[in-house]
Amino acid sequence: MKEARLAIKIFKTLFQDCIQYPNRFIVDTIGILARCGILLILYSYVFKLRDGVINNTTFLFVAWSIFFYFSFSILKLRDISKEIMQDVQKGNIEILFSKPIFYLSYRIWWQIGLGIYSFVIITLSMIIALIFIIGLPPTMTIGIFIPTLILTFLCGIILSLFLYTIIGLLSFWIEDINPIFWIVDKTVMILGGSYLPIALFPTFMFKIALWSPFGASQFVTHTVYETWQTNWYQLIEIQLFWIVLLGLVVYFIFKKAKQKISVNGG
Amino acid sequence: MIKEFYFALYAIKKNIQNSAELRVSFLINIIGMSINNTAFIILWIFFVKSVGVINGWVAMDIIGLLGFGALSYGIVFSIGAGIRKLADYVATGIFDRFMLSPKNLLIRTATSFFSVSALGDIVFGVVCLVIYIISIHATIYQILLIGLLVIISVIVFLTAIITIYSMSFFFVDANLVTGSLFELFLTPSLFHGGAFQGVMRFIFTFIIPSLLIGALPVEIVRDVSLEKLLLVGSLAIFWFIISISIFNRAVKKYESSNFITFGN
Repeated sequence: MKEARLAIKIFKTLFQDCIQYPNRFIVDTIGILARCGILLILYSYVFKLRDGVINNTTFLFVAWSIFFYFSFSILKLRDISKEIMQDVQKGNIEILFSKPIFYLSYRIWWQIGLGIYSFVIITLSMIIALIFIIGLPPTMTIGIFIPTLILTFLCGIILSLFLYTIIGLLSFWIEDINPIFWIVDKTVMILGGSYLPIALFPTFMFKIALWSPFGASQFVTHTVYETWQTNWYQLIEIQLFWIVLLGLVVYFIFKKAKQKISVNGG
Repeated sequence: MIKEFYFALYAIKKNIQNSAELRVSFLINIIGMSINNTAFIILWIFFVKSVGVINGWVAMDIIGLLGFGALSYGIVFSIGAGIRKLADYVATGIFDRFMLSPKNLLIRTATSFFSVSALGDIVFGVVCLVIYIISIHATIYQILLIGLLVIISVIVFLTAIITIYSMSFFFVDANLVTGSLFELFLTPSLFHGGAFQGVMRFIFTFIIPSLLIGALPVEIVRDVSLEKLLLVGSLAIFWFIISISIFNRAVKKYESSNFITFGN
């Protein structure tokens, strides 16, 4: 109950903040147009050059898969690492630890709340635009699609948060976590199917994407392909496995981190 | 002018010495950024393997493209990372300090900050270009051309960021706006150059100069095209004049925040 109240309070505050500063929404829109929009135009050109089919996949599937990756990225869940690092570097962590709230849960809700407004509006607008421009692949019209999409999306959020929280918590020991963040972030970018959609992955890379937490955090990009209908439960099982494992890692690292903290006052 | 140049060199030297004090962090940042950049090589090489050759672009051209891109990014942000902080300087009133300085305003602002990770980009860029030179069996003429094109890419990159970050004087929440514009400029420069054709090529050459950073230089080296070299060179000069003019006009919009600080 206390947890729900905290989440609602954070969401309310951040929603008012978004309304007050619409610039952020505009910036997110430009950001997704710059990356996703240009990439889709380029892929449409490349598919036309290859008579519409590459690796037995058409542009329609690839476009939706890429779109799901970039739509997920609007949530900016990865920024939780930097937020934790800044809390540690600036000393805010002392203040936040002394509050009657659980620090990690505050950071997680804050991170979700920060991107949810832009995510909902941009994703809905882009879905409508994509339906009108390129249409829907048949795999997205079957009954199982939406429930499994929501399930894998939620698992992806939790997994991403755990993954990036672990990196953030390393700032209790390492002064600058940026290099580690870059490497993990780029691994997620490669294995998640951002610039290169998973349908174009070579076999070994596809296997790594399937079995690693980096690729598993972006399984939302797998949902548009035909294979999803037969192996969705297996992929969600992989996500659940990583959630449990990384959840335990977060728990133990945070426990150690709390012992590491030194309050300097001031 | 020479005095300004010496001042810039002195500021850069001090910035490097300052950053190198934290040795472990310094080295980890450089190595981390180099590893981080290889992600783009992996992505585009697999792309070429899956899709095949597009408009004459092979895997080695992508390495050349990333080499030009990373090197120009690295050089600009190692010597002039202060430009990227312009939005913060304006919002917090720190820009007052630069305006009161007797040195050239742009040089003073640009050299006020140093990005250690940009050195990783330089290392990565140099390695990529060396691999590119070896793999295409470049002639002396092509090697000299690469040297010249690196200078042109740096000028284009510098002018682009001066133009983008000059917007800091026009918006209240400028950090987000400039960040977005920078992404709009940078992202296409990292994409497969062969896929930009027709309208897209026109836009990202003449309106947003992203292709001048890497894609066009690679095509110039590959085809030894003097026509394209002239085009890129002329556009670099054009953008340089425009960016300086925009910066000077933008500065006039600055209103001091009048924060009482003690030089921080």
